[in-house]
Amino acid sequence: MSAVAAMPGRRSRRTLGAGLWPVLPAGIFLLLFFLLPLAENGLQSLYLPDAAGKPVFSLDYYVRLFTDGYYLGVLFRTIWVSLLATIICILIGYPVAYFMVRHAGRWNGVMIFLLVAPLLTSIIMRTFGWNVILARNGVLNSTLMSLGLIGRPLRLLQDPSAVIIGLVHVLVPFMVISIAAVLKGIDRRLEEAAELLGASRWRTFREITLPLSLDGIATGAIVVFMLANGSFLTMLLLGGGSVVTLPLLIYQQFLLVQNLGFAAAMGNVLLVLAVISLFLQLRLIRRDGGAS
Amino acid sequence: MTQTTPKAQSSVASEVAGLRLHEVRKSFGSVAALQPTSFDVPAGTLCSLLGPSGCGKTTTLRIVAGFELPDAGQVLIRGEDRTYDPPQRRKLGMVFQNYSLFPHMTVAQNVAFGLRMARVARAETEARTRRMLDIVHLPQHADRYPHQLSGGQQQRVALARSLVTEPSMLLLDEPLGALDKNLREQMQFEIRQLQREIGITTLLVTHDQEEALTMSDMIVVMDRGRILQAGSPTEVYENPRTRFVSEFLGTSNIIACTVIGAEAGGLRLRLPGDATGPGFVVADARPRSAGGSALVAIRPEHLRIVSAAQAPAEAPRAMVSGHVFRGATHVFQIARPGLDHPLVAYRQITGPVGDTAIPVGTEVALSWLPGAARLLEDEPILEAAA
Repeated sequence: MSAVAAMPGRRSRRTLGAGLWPVLPAGIFLLLFFLLPLAENGLQSLYLPDAAGKPVFSLDYYVRLFTDGYYLGVLFRTIWVSLLATIICILIGYPVAYFMVRHAGRWNGVMIFLLVAPLLTSIIMRTFGWNVILARNGVLNSTLMSLGLIGRPLRLLQDPSAVIIGLVHVLVPFMVISIAAVLKGIDRRLEEAAELLGASRWRTFREITLPLSLDGIATGAIVVFMLANGSFLTMLLLGGGSVVTLPLLIYQQFLLVQNLGFAAAMGNVLLVLAVISLFLQLRLIRRDGGAS
Repeated sequence: MTQTTPKAQSSVASEVAGLRLHEVRKSFGSVAALQPTSFDVPAGTLCSLLGPSGCGKTTTLRIVAGFELPDAGQVLIRGEDRTYDPPQRRKLGMVFQNYSLFPHMTVAQNVAFGLRMARVARAETEARTRRMLDIVHLPQHADRYPHQLSGGQQQRVALARSLVTEPSMLLLDEPLGALDKNLREQMQFEIRQLQREIGITTLLVTHDQEEALTMSDMIVVMDRGRILQAGSPTEVYENPRTRFVSEFLGTSNIIACTVIGAEAGGLRLRLPGDATGPGFVVADARPRSAGGSALVAIRPEHLRIVSAAQAPAEAPRAMVSGHVFRGATHVFQIARPGLDHPLVAYRQITGPVGDTAIPVGTEVALSWLPGAARLLEDEPILEAAA
């Protein structure tokens, strides 16, 4: 019985082993540039120098991160800012994607170009662009002033609103592209079928189009959320210290305070957030995947 | 574009309470998808729009459904002008080519969708959904999702979904195209039976002549945005007016004959390559001048071949140039000087044994019953696109 069971097992193990050879270069690459640094990062966050400067195992960094009010605040702010940016990206991205797929016609290509072009420019350029627009004497303030809408310049930079604007600008293309990809795959005849069965345009959207495009929203949301979580330049250049999130704190700990262990611990927390997001995405898509 | 104001309603209001298209016309850009088209579908009957792709049949269906607005003309459903009504208000049922079931809803939710949109009470919705699923033999599949069903089952769900709201008309857009042959034949009968039982006026779009012949009370043959011929399946099959209809519906031998002259029975013609024979007579209403040419269609099942020795001397001669055994029939190819293409003749196999094929190379004589040869009209000449 056991011999019979072992036979195919051994055979499949051997073929599996043979099948792994071509993957070896990629495996080595991953090991060297991904797994080893990750392990190093993990170890660093778990060892604290004692009085004599000798590293001792300790969970101290993590305890501090999850109990200290300041650090907890940073953690929640990171999640909150990313969530807000994600929601705004959905609200802006969905109509854009819908228009692109359904109404742009031959302008579709132009729209995709306009969406992707900013991604090819450096994020620093784009962020400084916002600096120019949002500055005290910038384009936005002077326009609003000349229209008589405001009496004196608004303080837009060094402010959470600037961070959100910057994040949304950088990240909305990802949302548009993932929603558009799914919308494009929805058979128009499904909508026609619903309309013929008496559903109004709005009802058809709510009952058919929106549920069928949830996959695209989910994918886009997770990508945007993860990128927002890890975004650093936008926080630094547009927030000017007004919005301290994990990446900014890591930067401070790493470069300014030189507390590599604590920075590593924060990096790992950020990594866990990303892994949770990816897991959620896989779950969502597996659940709906069969249906569509 | 020309904006035709709808004419006085009474002038086109129909006594037939089915579907009436009156001078409906549609262009996409500079392409005329549908020339001014009119036809009536009597209430309770099934009418097929038959033609190759791009012939305007789908455009016609979409205009009836309200997905496209015609440039001119009127669409009357049950005697009411629905030309400019949105699809939601037309109260139609439709089965799409790929069924278009909502993938995120169960079978029951799919079927109940129309009732839910019409705000039918929940208890009644459930009862009607269940009854409809019984009718299409799928009561045990109510909680499955469309992707868990076979093609035939999806087809039935689509049918149930389109009929549960008791629509005033049923539209079928190539509903059986995705099914394999056996299932398709079975569904043809099932749909036809259901349609008869309910007595619902039905418009079927298809490019499959067999489907049109089996299922319809009436066939409308279309090509390049025009109606070529409309009538009952037997009428259109047995008396095709043009070469296109004759070839699109079944197989046909088209022969360009020479006109000898008119006589009491109609027109006397002579086969090509036949300089002296007495020729044969076809029925024809319109006089044609002698010496001209006329197209004649003969169905392969009407073309008889007998061995040359047994035939009368004046019967046209030919030679068997090919033979295929097709189970229920022998198919012969017959070559004759003066013809570019060989003729095709079917011979039904009647006995279990001994019905041997005529060997290739045999000289034979051709004959057909009077009336089997049909004179075709010249193809209508298309006006330049409007």
